[in-house]
Formats: sequence, structure tokens, C-alpha cells
Amino acid sequence: MATTTPADNRRLLAPLQDDPKLAAWVAVGLFLFALQAGAVAHFLTGLVADLLGIFPTAEASNSVLGRLVGLFEVAQRRAAELPTLLSRDVVPNAGHWNGDRWVGTFMGFSPAVSWGIRVTLVYAYAFTWVVWAVLGYRYYREQYRVADWTPRDDIVDRFRSHGWGLFGATIVFLFVVMVVFAPTLGPTTVEQNMESSYDYETTYWNSETEEVETILTGEANLNSKSTGDQSRVMPMSYDDFGRFHPFGTLPNGRDLFTFIVAGSRISLVIGLLSVGLSAALAVTLAMTSAYYKGRVDLGTVLLSDAVMAMPQLLLLIMLITVLSDSWVGEIYSGGFVLALIFAFTGWTYMWRSIRGPALQISERTWIDAAQSFGQRPWTIMRKHMLPYITGYILVYGSMTLGGAIIAIAGLSYLGLGVAPPTPEWGRAIQLGQEYVNTGSWHISLIPGLLITLVVTGFNALGDGIRDAIDPQSDTGTGGAAGRGGGA
Amino acid sequence: MSRLRYLGKRFLLSIPVVWLGASMTWFIIFMGPIDPASRLLSEGQLRNPAAYQAAETQLGLNQPPLQHYFDWMSSLLRFDLGQTWVLYEGSSVNALILDFLPRTLWLGLWSVLIAILIGVPLGFYAGMNSNTVADYVASLGGIVWRAMPNFWLAIILLAVLSTSPVLFGYRFEWETLFVSIDAISGSPDMTRIDTPDGFVAATKKVLPAALVLGSASMGNEMRIGRTAILEVRNEDYVDFAKAKGVSGRLLVWKHIFRNALIPLVPIITSEAFLLIGGSVLVETVFGINGIGQLFYQASVQGDLPLVGTLMYVFILMTVGINLLQDVLYTVIDPRVGLEGS
Amino acid sequence: MSRPDGSTDRTPGREPLLSVSDLRTVFYTDKETIHAVDGISFDIYPGETVGLVGESGSGKSVTARSLLGLVDEPGVVEEGTLEFKGEDLLETGWAEYRGDLSIVFQDPSNALNPVYTVGNQIREALAIHQGLRGSAARERAIELLEAVGIPDAPRRVKEYPHQFSGGMQQRAVIAIALACDPDLLVCDEPTTALDVTIQAQILDLLDELQREEDLAILFISHDMGVIEETADRINVIYAGEIVERAPTERLLAAPEHPYTEALLNSIPGRTPPDQRLPTLDGEVPTPDGPAESCRFAPRCPVAVEECHETPPDAVAVGENGTDHSAACLLAGESEPEGEQ
Ligand code: SF4
Repeated sequence: MATTTPADNRRLLAPLQDDPKLAAWVAVGLFLFALQAGAVAHFLTGLVADLLGIFPTAEASNSVLGRLVGLFEVAQRRAAELPTLLSRDVVPNAGHWNGDRWVGTFMGFSPAVSWGIRVTLVYAYAFTWVVWAVLGYRYYREQYRVADWTPRDDIVDRFRSHGWGLFGATIVFLFVVMVVFAPTLGPTTVEQNMESSYDYETTYWNSETEEVETILTGEANLNSKSTGDQSRVMPMSYDDFGRFHPFGTLPNGRDLFTFIVAGSRISLVIGLLSVGLSAALAVTLAMTSAYYKGRVDLGTVLLSDAVMAMPQLLLLIMLITVLSDSWVGEIYSGGFVLALIFAFTGWTYMWRSIRGPALQISERTWIDAAQSFGQRPWTIMRKHMLPYITGYILVYGSMTLGGAIIAIAGLSYLGLGVAPPTPEWGRAIQLGQEYVNTGSWHISLIPGLLITLVVTGFNALGDGIRDAIDPQSDTGTGGAAGRGGGA
Repeated sequence: MSRLRYLGKRFLLSIPVVWLGASMTWFIIFMGPIDPASRLLSEGQLRNPAAYQAAETQLGLNQPPLQHYFDWMSSLLRFDLGQTWVLYEGSSVNALILDFLPRTLWLGLWSVLIAILIGVPLGFYAGMNSNTVADYVASLGGIVWRAMPNFWLAIILLAVLSTSPVLFGYRFEWETLFVSIDAISGSPDMTRIDTPDGFVAATKKVLPAALVLGSASMGNEMRIGRTAILEVRNEDYVDFAKAKGVSGRLLVWKHIFRNALIPLVPIITSEAFLLIGGSVLVETVFGINGIGQLFYQASVQGDLPLVGTLMYVFILMTVGINLLQDVLYTVIDPRVGLEGS
Repeated sequence: MSRPDGSTDRTPGREPLLSVSDLRTVFYTDKETIHAVDGISFDIYPGETVGLVGESGSGKSVTARSLLGLVDEPGVVEEGTLEFKGEDLLETGWAEYRGDLSIVFQDPSNALNPVYTVGNQIREALAIHQGLRGSAARERAIELLEAVGIPDAPRRVKEYPHQFSGGMQQRAVIAIALACDPDLLVCDEPTTALDVTIQAQILDLLDELQREEDLAILFISHDMGVIEETADRINVIYAGEIVERAPTERLLAAPEHPYTEALLNSIPGRTPPDQRLPTLDGEVPTPDGPAESCRFAPRCPVAVEECHETPPDAVAVGENGTDHSAACLLAGESEPEGEQ
């Protein structure tokens, strides 16, 4: 059934015609999507082009792959031209003072206000999506679901009354929005401000000559450094070139906020990738060892003990040293190999945590029953064991993610892992280290506080989910899981 | 008797763990995409085939891999750890470890102590006074404390100490408190540790670093300690003891605290893992010449054979801590080893 | 195992050992306020066994804990008096009477502290209540273990609780309780966690000890069969209230409350072999406010309309001076013909 017949279409559309509320809900969803459709297209085409570009052969422009990459890059540029509500062009904040008013900013507001409006818009937009989704779920629960109660409802209700978990969810929401809209949120972009700052110009009001002048952005950066008590650009202030810096500038004069939002992206992507991979490994191993028990279980215990016997952070350092020069080491500024290494070193902690529940489930009679029906082991694991441990995976996944973020930052503090100039939070801390007890304290302080906040958020979310799934349990989070190997 | 058997079993099980860990290390270092021999040589030497061959022969890499594996493993087993190549060129690795390890152990000891001496009492206090303001403050503090990156905390603490903050109207000078130390950061002087002054000075030197390194554990121990107290308080045996007429301090110490310690044992030892890992960053920030710092330098400067050897030392340390945990367990919980586990 | 002569030692003029009146224990949670024990009164005289019977959730265990001052947060004993040897424990506190009032819990594996030897735990009580220390305490501990029927006592006294079987653990708990030299032993479902054969042994042991030491026992159980065998007088508890009280013989012969009737019917021997054991559907309601009807009405087989509007008071239904009362609107009017 590759094609949908008109009959199918009618069946799909029928509820929309019968139920105006549902139709309105779908329409709002489409409208919200349309506002950002251009950005989504831009992101997807860019992603495909990047993915294709990973393969070494794609460099040569005459190969098939090379041409495909080119094609997608063109598509990406086209997509960039589609109008989107939350683009930098709709609410621009980069402008200059021409003597009596701001030029080029949103409706002539000051850059700070324009930037504030854009940030507010982004969060309002994201929040609308959440409300939309919640309303949709509630409506579905009331009108369409056949069962008027399922065990999952209890979980949702318990989570809804769990203040600490909700706090975590809020922090995680704020962080995820930051990651998704990273290029829009910064007062400037990574490309203009960091990667190719000498290809861009900054127009500004020179107060000495009382004239509007232009300067290369790179040059402007050199004159807005934060390096101590005298020369510094503090949070929520302007530099000499009329550029607004919500978090101040780095010692090299670049914008710290832009650096941080861009860095949040790489943290979360690596974090999610590594947690996803290690969860997959851990779950597979937990189910196999719980199903077969005996020697398989013992073997897995020994293997995980051996991996755990190598302190995670040291193992990370060793593997990064060995792998950084190979071709996998270059994908995504070294982020991909980092995620792989995390998965390889981190599955043990998660496996430890879900081994118990998995063993318990494997003792249940329905497993024996399924075996006697002649179901295949893999089917039994997937159908009868997996559903019971997914909850635990969510809990430990959430906590491990916090640990991964700390560990990634720790490694880039040491100059390992994510390669410069790709922004990473740990590097900002390292850059500002010298100036912590000078007037430029903001450089190290802000990223550190943000890490603490985000990690607390993920831990709180994990706590909340755990209490919602299993109100009785109050196990500790297994020491290392939430800690990134001591970074 | 059966407790001894239990410990013996744990010891036997740790042998394959060490073997597996060392083998993985060998594989990563010598079979990985980087040629350890070429990493040891400078640009100029690289072009000299004779120098390269010399390095290769020294590392034994001209042998077939299996032969090399056995040689390497057996030299580890005999603690014949060879010499260094890049870092402190040509010195014996054994001597280097003996020189660097005490500082790390000293740091680790204090961070474990700080975590236990602050985290456990706070957790027990919060548990005994659950749902009071003090409990909430302590719990929240523990959670936030746990989420702070060690290396960042280290930087901030160092900055605070070096500016001599004014606390409660007193100028707080860490450098000159009790005994003067030359600088706030740097390695502790382990040679005079047997004199009272030297002891205090060496302790003072690592204390800020230990506080940072122990911070995560402290938060965790607090949390687990609190939960443990809450659970034990609701046990029937505590009520029974109360009904027997056991009261006040005896009830708390003998029947509540003693039992609440049991779930803390694995936490304290698993925190020790974190300490070993975290030592790299904290030693780097505080400029302590410990074994973690050595490991990092060796990695960055490409002394891969040294990296492998140090990893072996770390593996032995973690496995040792694990065994210590089992011993502690049998001491503290009479049930261990007797339930056929 | 009521006394052979069926007497209850309730000779007039003899003071009750423990006199509970209008005891109310309330649990305050975030969501609701639960009146777990809602105005209970009963007396226990020296040397007798009083039974407290009801389903799980009826408030039996909370009653036991309230008597011993062991109600944990968020529960509070709000009202009532607990007169023990003439003093109100709720005012004086338990400190002075610890040990005179001892308890045996349902699950012996939880009642023994796992990290100390059984001997240690007996000696702890001996030191507090009999001032015994050192070798004297050690010898007495062995004697006590022997007294409760633990073989090989000199060796077992050095063992940890988990090395004992369930029945042996309960014997050890009883030994500890005896080491306190009690006058009243509260037994909260002491046999429920044990195998049937062991149950009988423990019941025999309690009976024997009671005769030897002149103990008063408050025996709490959900099992009417066990209560019937042990108690001299029975209190039937439902949803935090005592719905019927009578001497054992009288209660068995002429139950007045439909709930008592139902409990009695659940004793295997009492129903003709060819009939199925009658069971009560539903659960004990959680009393979260003042009663506005008979709390048993939703499950009562003989409920009338009035039952859903008026909460019944306890009325005396005893003939010629027997202490028999029941809280049922139909009580005393006619025999409630609950059984079909
Ligand atoms: S009062 Fe009514 S409902 Fe309650 S027990 Fe008596 S007959 Fe049943």
C-alpha cells in the first residue's frame, strides 16, 4: 500500500470535519509550523549536507557524493531565503547609532531591547508549542482514547504534582529551546563574530570623530577584550562599537553569549548521542544477561567491572589522545568520537542500574510462558522485558546526560575533545580562568553557573520521572551516573 | 569462615578484571590508529629511520603483536615498568610513580575524609530532622553542590582564597593561617610530613583541592545518608528497641546510625573512583604534581607507553578500592557472605 | 486457648491493668486526614488475654502502636486516655513504663536489628530492665532463649538474626520482650508471617508463658480462628471503631453485629463442609471524616435504609450482666439473620 487512496484520505480527514475543536487544534499546529518552516527546511538540508560531507570521498567535487553535497548546500541556501518569524533579519539587533538614533535595529529600538524582543519571541513561540501539545494530549485523553484510564495517567499525574521534577523540566525546556534556537538567540553569530570575523564589517558611531565609521569585526573584537580590571566588557553592556553583549565578552573580545548558546548545542548533541548509544548498549546487554543469566551474566559483570576499573575520565583522555588524529576524530569538531567514547565507557553505569530490574522481570512467569510458546529470545526480550525497563532508562539517561555535559566541559577545559574554534562551555571557563579574581570575573563564572543549573535541571527531571514511575523507590543515583567521571 | 570465603571469591573475581582492563589498555595504546613509536620522536628524528627503528625496538613493536602483548603484560605483572620517553626523559617509571603517587594519595585521603566528615553528618542530621527548614537547605545544598563541575569550583575557590576575603569582619588569609605556606596552589611537601609543622603545612596545601575533589561525594553521601536515616527510622527494629526502653543517644547511635552506615559503604567507595578520575582536573587547576597530572601530561605530550603503564596503576587502585569495599562490608554488615551470595 | 475454666479474672474490685478510653489517632497527610483509630475504648485486666480482631486496614496495628507510643509521623494520638497502672501514659509519657508494656511485631525479621547478635539484643533489654550485665546477663539471655524453646541456646545466642528461621526469630523476639519483664504483652499479628505449623507452636508458647509469668496479653489478629482460640474476651474493630465486644464464649454463641457474623463465618470449621466459605466483598473504608452513616453499611448484608443515614452507637446487649455491646442499629432488636 504505497499510495493512499482517496478513501484513505477521507477516513483520515473525517474526524477533522466532524470535530471542529480538533480541526482548530490541527490548524494552530500548522500555523505554528508555518512560522518556522523555512528554518526547519534550512536545518534539514544542512544536516543532510553535513552528514554526506562526513565521508572522506565527498571532498572531491566531481564524485557523486560531492555533487550531492553541493546540491544540498544549494538547497540549504534556498531554504535560508524562506521567511521565518524568528530569524535574525525579522528582529535585527545589530545596528549603529548615527548621532541621534539607532539605525538598522528592530523598529529603531536600542540593540539591547531589540535583542530582548527576539529572545522573548523565541521563548514565547516555544512555550506556545508546549501549550499546544498539552492541550492536544488532554483532548485526546478526553475524546479519543478508548480507555478512560491507563497506568500511564497515574505517572503523568504524579509527575504533575512533583514540584522538584517540574522545576527540572522547566530548566531542561529552557535549555533545549536555547539549543534549538541557538543561532537566533545570540546577539551575533558564530560565523560573523568568531569563525570569519575578518570577512565581516561592523558599523559604529565613533564618538571622538562624531561620525559613523566601519571597522572589520575582527578588529573590533581586538578592542573589546575582557582581560582584567581596565579593559573589560561586562554582562548587559555595550562595547565601544555599539555592540550589545548580554554576558559580556571573552578575553579575545568575542561575544560570550553567542559563544555559550553555540556551545550549548554541541554539549546537548554530544550528550544525547552518547547517552542514547550507551543506553542502547546497556539495555541490550542487560536484557541478554538477564535472559540467559549464568555465564553470560558473569561475563558481562567482568567486562563492565574491567571498564569501570579504568576511571572514566582517564579512559576518556586516553581514548581521545589515541583517536583524535584519525578520520572519525574530525567529524563534528571531534564531537562524534567523543560521543562514541562516552558510550563505550559509560554504558557500565547504566547497565549496573538496570541489571537488577531486568533480572527481576526475567523471573516472571510470563517469560517462561512465552518461552514455552516457542517465542524467540529476542522477541521475548523486546516484547516482554523492554517495556518494563524503559522507565529506568529514562531516569538514568536524564542523570547521565548531566554527567556527560560536565565531562565534556571538563575535557575541553583541558583542551581535549571538542576542537577550537567550535565553542564549548569548558573552554570559556578555561579562557576566563586567569581573570577570575580581576574585574573580568564574568567569563568563567557565567558558564560554570549555567552548567550547574543545567545539570541540576537534568538531575531534578530524573528524580521527578523516577518518583512518578515508582513512588516507592528512593535509590541513590548510583554515584558516578550523574557526575561525568569526576570532572 | 564463610565471610573469608566470600572475600576470597571477590579477590579471585578481581583477577580477570585486572587482566581484562590491562588487555584493553594494551589494545588501545598499541593497536590503535596511532603509532606509539612515532609519537615519541620529535619532527627531526622522525625523518631519521635509524632513530625510528631504535624507538620501535625499545618498545618491542618490531615483534609480532601477540609476542608484544605477552611481554608487556608480564612486565606489568613484575612491576618492571621501564623508562619514560618524553616526560622526564629516560627516568625510571617506577621511581616516577613513587615520587608522584604519595601526593595524589594524600589529596585523595583528605578528600575522602572531608566528604565523610562533612557529608555524612549533614545527611544524618537532615534525616533525623526531616522536613524542617534545615533539612531542605541541606538537601538543596547537596544537590546543587553535586551538580557543580569540579574544575570550575576549583578555579572559583582558588580565586576566593587568593583575594583574602573579608569574612565576618576578619580578613581571612588562607596563606598565613596556622602555618605559612609559600603559595596557595602547588604541590604539598611530602618530605617533612612526619613533623607536626610539616604535617599541617602539607595538609593545608591540599585542603582546598581536597574540598573540591570531595565536593561531589559530599553531596552524594549527604543525600544517601539522609535517605538511609529516613528508612532506618521507620524500621520495626527501631520501634522495638524503643519499646524495649532503649532511649535517646543509645537508640540513635546503636540502632539508627549503625544501620544507616550500610548503604553508605558502596557510595563512599564508588566516590573513590570519582576521586581518581577527578584528580586529573583538580591537580591541573591547583598545580599539584600528582599522578593524575602526570597521566594528563603523558597523554598530551604523546608518551603513550607511560599512559598505558599509568592506566595499569589506576586499574590496580580501583580494584583495590573495590576489595576494600568488600572488606568494609563484611565488617559492617554481618549478613554479607552468609546469605549464599 | 482461653483459660480452662473459662473465667476471665475480672473479679469486681480488681483494677484493670490498662484502661483505654476514647482513643483517637489521626494521620495528617498532604491530601487528607485519616482517622485511623476513631474513639476506641477497652480494658485489659492482669493475666487475661484480650483479642482485637478485624480485617487489614481496620486500625488494629495503629491501635497497638498508639498503646506503646510508637505512632510515627504524620500520625498523632489526638485524644483519649491510656491509663496504665493508674497513670495516663499520654500525659506521663512512656519512659517509666517501657518494658512493663512490651510488644511482639508481625514480622520478626524486621523486628530484630540485623547488625547485632540475638544475644546482644536480649542483653540490651536485660541491662535496662533487670540491671544485669556481664556474665550474669549472658547466662540469663541463654536461659531466656531456652525458655522460649530455642534449642542449642548457648550457641545460638551468639548468632545474628538472619541465621535464624522465621519461627526461631519470633521466639527470639518473644525472648527479648520477656527480658523486659513485662506485665502486658501486645502481640500484633505475631503468627501471620509464619507457617501454619509454626503458628501453632508460637501460640502454645505464648499460652504457656502467660500462665507462668501471669502476663496480660493484647492479641491482635485478622484471623478470627486464632483469636477465638487465644482470647478470653474479644473486641471486633472495623474502620477505627470497636463494633462489638463480648466474652469469647458469648461472642461465638450470639454475635450481634453482622460484621462479627461475617468474620465468624470465615472460620473454616463453622460452615458446613459442602458450602463455600462465605466471603465479604469490598474493603474496609478509610475513615477520613466523621461518620455520617454506619461505616459497614456498603458491605452489610442486612443493611436497611436507615443505616445509610444514622451512625449507630454501641448498645449493651448482654443478658444478666455480661459485658456485651454492639454498634448496630439492629442490635438487640432481633437476631440479625445475616446468614442465608
Ligand atoms: S447498622 Fe445497619 S449497616 Fe450497620 S451493621 Fe447494623 S445493619 Fe449493618
